[in-house]
Amino acid sequence: MQYRISHTTKYSYAEPASVCHNLVHLAPANFPRQAVHEYRLTVQPSPPTIVNRRDYFNNRVDYFSVTEPHDGLTIVATSRVDVSPPPPIEDNPPWEQIVAEFRPGTPRILSVLQFAFKSRHIPMLDQLQEYAKISFTKNRPIYDAARELTKRIRTDFKYDSSATTIQTPVAEAFANRHGVCQDFAHIAIGCLRSLGLPARYVSGYLRTLPPPGKPRLVGADASHAWFSAYCGDKTGWVDLDPTNDMLCSTDHVTNAWGRDFEDVTPIQGVVVGGGAHMMSVSVDVEPLEPTATQSQSQS
Amino acid sequence: MSPLRRDPFDPSTDPSTTTPPPLSNERPVSNASPNAPPTPALFSQYRKGEGVYDELYDASGVRGAWRPFVQAIEGLGVEGFKRRWQQANRALNRNGLAYSSWKENEKEARPWELDPIPLLIASEDWDIAVKGLQQRARLLEAILTDIYGHQELMKSGVLPPEVVFSHPGFCRPFHRQRPPANHFLHFYAADMARAPNGKWWVLADRTEAPSGAGFVLENRLIQSRTLPTIFHQANVQRLAQYFLAFKRAVAAAAPRVENPRVVILSQGSGGPNYFEDAYLARYLGYTLVEASDLAIRNHRVMLKTLGGLIQVDVIIRRPNSDQCDSLELSHTAEGVPGLLQASRNGNVAVINPLGSGLVESPIFMAFMPKLCQELFGEPLLMPGVATWWCGDPGQMDHVLANLDTLIVKRSYRMRGRELAFANMVRNQSREATIKMIRSDPHQYVGQEVVKRSTCPVWKSQGIAPAPIAMRAFAVASGDDFEVMQGGLVRVSAAPDPLEMSILAGEKSKDAWILSQGPVNRVSLLKKAGGPIDLKRTGGELPSRVAENLFWLGRNLERADVCARLLRATIVRLTSESILEEQPETPALLRALADIGQIETGYGIEEIRKQLPPLETALPPAVFDASDSFSLRAIVTEIFRLTTRSRDRVSSDSWRILHRIDKSFTPPAVGQWDLSDLLTLLDDLILDLAAFSGIVSESMTRTQIYYFLDMGRRIERALQQVRLLRNCLIEPTGDLTAILEALLEISDSSMTYRSRYLADVQMPAVLDLLLTDETNPRSIARQLVQLLDHVNALPHNTSSGLFSLEQRLAMTLLNETRMCDVTAFRESEDLNPNAPLSLLLQDIESLLPKLADALSNRYLVHAGAQVQLTEIRS
Repeated sequence: MQYRISHTTKYSYAEPASVCHNLVHLAPANFPRQAVHEYRLTVQPSPPTIVNRRDYFNNRVDYFSVTEPHDGLTIVATSRVDVSPPPPIEDNPPWEQIVAEFRPGTPRILSVLQFAFKSRHIPMLDQLQEYAKISFTKNRPIYDAARELTKRIRTDFKYDSSATTIQTPVAEAFANRHGVCQDFAHIAIGCLRSLGLPARYVSGYLRTLPPPGKPRLVGADASHAWFSAYCGDKTGWVDLDPTNDMLCSTDHVTNAWGRDFEDVTPIQGVVVGGGAHMMSVSVDVEPLEPTATQSQSQS
Repeated sequence: MSPLRRDPFDPSTDPSTTTPPPLSNERPVSNASPNAPPTPALFSQYRKGEGVYDELYDASGVRGAWRPFVQAIEGLGVEGFKRRWQQANRALNRNGLAYSSWKENEKEARPWELDPIPLLIASEDWDIAVKGLQQRARLLEAILTDIYGHQELMKSGVLPPEVVFSHPGFCRPFHRQRPPANHFLHFYAADMARAPNGKWWVLADRTEAPSGAGFVLENRLIQSRTLPTIFHQANVQRLAQYFLAFKRAVAAAAPRVENPRVVILSQGSGGPNYFEDAYLARYLGYTLVEASDLAIRNHRVMLKTLGGLIQVDVIIRRPNSDQCDSLELSHTAEGVPGLLQASRNGNVAVINPLGSGLVESPIFMAFMPKLCQELFGEPLLMPGVATWWCGDPGQMDHVLANLDTLIVKRSYRMRGRELAFANMVRNQSREATIKMIRSDPHQYVGQEVVKRSTCPVWKSQGIAPAPIAMRAFAVASGDDFEVMQGGLVRVSAAPDPLEMSILAGEKSKDAWILSQGPVNRVSLLKKAGGPIDLKRTGGELPSRVAENLFWLGRNLERADVCARLLRATIVRLTSESILEEQPETPALLRALADIGQIETGYGIEEIRKQLPPLETALPPAVFDASDSFSLRAIVTEIFRLTTRSRDRVSSDSWRILHRIDKSFTPPAVGQWDLSDLLTLLDDLILDLAAFSGIVSESMTRTQIYYFLDMGRRIERALQQVRLLRNCLIEPTGDLTAILEALLEISDSSMTYRSRYLADVQMPAVLDLLLTDETNPRSIARQLVQLLDHVNALPHNTSSGLFSLEQRLAMTLLNETRMCDVTAFRESEDLNPNAPLSLLLQDIESLLPKLADALSNRYLVHAGAQVQLTEIRS
């Protein structure tokens, strides 16, 4: 499945700013089932240079600074990617077996193990473990349990973009049973980690689908987030979207992964001067070939 | 029992018993001759502690390293020793040495206390510790290199990955940076204690931003001054060697540059290490900056100075790593956004590199022996205190079973919050501690408590043993580390864990490493013969420093004029005639009210009669710290501004300002009245004059001086204008008395008399105080100097036009010069609409505009930093 993606972010400041420094995670990831054919980042006012590097999780990061006085900033990331569906799950061991693989004293894969620990935004909570155990029953295959957890979050939680902010702790979103895709991903990850299972946060885009009989909406969406569960060394990471209760396939385009939101924030910026600022964002994920429609809720 | 070991409870050694003791406190020096046993007057009550290593005694008596010292000290006698010690204490006080520096709402910083008896260590004894410290520093660096690189130690499991992945200080952006000169550790310190078997043990490693070297330097200064002869005879290893190595390490870290610009990035004057940062900056010749003084341009770090942005090559970092870059470490709003990327690009050397603090957490102590074997294939030379990590179930059981003898610490150090945690654990029940550990075992370690060695400490009447700990310092030198020949010794009677904070403990000591033969004298000054580039300016001045100095100048001048006005008023209040009958009274009270020293009501006769008498109202008003206009508040502000500019103020000027702050307070006990206040004001005026004298005689005429002096000139001109207005515009009563008071407050009576004798006339007074450019107190004189300074500042010369500041300064001076004072003779010349009044009004409104223009061009920083927010999905 091929897409053209454009992600536009606009900031406008109350007063002119003298400088702004930014680092962005806006490039789609290149990995076996996703190929990036093109990626371009344009910034207005245009910075002298844009440099990039790979972060600790091997995500691409772009850096730039605007050093002339400016009263707003526009960042446009465009890309063309090809996404394939995940292979069918053939090896699906009991979840306890995965936990055992990551116990101290066994040789462990650091790149996976690192996602088994608490992180700044996802603490280890008893209530999450309790909630997880309903699906993670004795000897249940890992994928089946994680898939059910994904469904339960969709069922038990209310999608409400006004209920939480970036600062809302996981415990609070969990207690109130509401939030947005970021909260749901954090809750699912917290559930898995509380059992000793590695789980990571994935940021990316969801294909923009039209409601039946209407033209496709353009630019109505923001970036999306879901989680990835480690299902053993044969199956590897499996992406699940609790916001839409689905296994991620060709409707999901992956940008970056990390321990939680903070590792992969799309845009991190510091503005010197400028006072208060307003922000607007639009994301357009346009298929380059016709496909069947499918209903799902957008984050 | 050695002759020095006398039981303090044995009456035969107690001087207070009726039987004269065999040893008197006043024995002459000759008794300390090498042939006779030393007179143990000072050390007579010293009794070595049981079950610990005593630094002074071994089983057979005084240790060899201490013998000549003890003998020499006894030679001084109790009184001689006390006298010297008092002198040294005064020096400490004069230098205003304090650990915690200025804090808002806190009147006094905690004073630094030095014990007069140094810790003596023989060179051959110290060399063993040096080797251990060098190995430990290399090992910690190797661990950092691995964690921030290939992570082989974690892959092999020698270091459990949990240790690093659970570490809140393991910020992923620090991974795979290229550290300056390929070193992850440039500065290292270790807190050590000597165990009963005489071996040094490490209580804690310090790798983030080790502090304390400045205090060692200051201790040495005072200590060698207290006992100069003894110090020089004792062959004490010099500290300068270490600071030379420090400078070499800094130069080696600099990317590509011959003569690098080095800054010490301080946490600011509110931070706990500010004093030391300022002290080291001055001693080493580096620029002291705060994060807001730095900006990133094109991945380079720039210092904001009066002359514009200039590139910084090396940053000696004091704040914690995770507070240094608000761009990459988005959980913090502090630091310099973009610093990490500038450092990754190799455009600036940050030392220690960001992330170096990772290994100073106690959890690493549990793995050091194993890591040393793994990485170096050799045993750890200097052991760390035994540490059990509760993340390992077996070790947790050990900790829980031995809670009474172990000390529980957080696995991951939180700088500055360790002591509070130790107190919390101490005060909570055993059950609560067990519950705390079980709830998150990875987060805690148990550590053995080392029985620290005891060392002689001066107590008011003699010398007694007290437990000590010592911080040792090392700096990178090639592929190894150079260890300081000395260290910071801290004393604490209570079994406090001294390694938790440099604040812990009661006082500190100098440490003397005694060489067998004569020691090398080294100096930080360049060797003669090498080429030197002559310079006429110092380092470029950060805008923030210029701002502090500008306000320091203004406050100094304001304090001076307030003090003079108050003095003139009090002299009249305490004279034979009643205040109300003196013709200059209304003018004085108006002026005092105008400058905020008394309630406005006192300046208006009808209201004054209903207020409490001035005699009782004035003294408390002067010391009212809650009123920001009171003289005491101005003095406090002066001290605060000086503290924030510590690295820019010479030590003599600092002493004067410190003395002003200390002594300008009402007597603590007993009744006090106007005459006490008069004395205090006299002293204050003299001290302020002394400060001005030092400034004008010893400060080079660079930007520092200009900003300090512009502050003074603006304030003095402004106050002089106000004084003239309050005294001369619509005066009531005898004009001669008013003019005389005016001359007195303006410190110009002498000059006037020498010119005109007793003939006091308006035009002559006005000439002296307003237009005479030779009188240092005249308004014209201030304006001439202001224009000079403004012209000397860096300007944008491309346009060829005068700047706003230049135009304002010229207008002020020209208007004053155009004034013909001989025209002001009649009383109508003093009407509010007459030319004199209009001139004064003009000057009074233009001066603040000049101050604003200067501030806008040179001092104001760009706006506050804001982190961009994200829309969430």
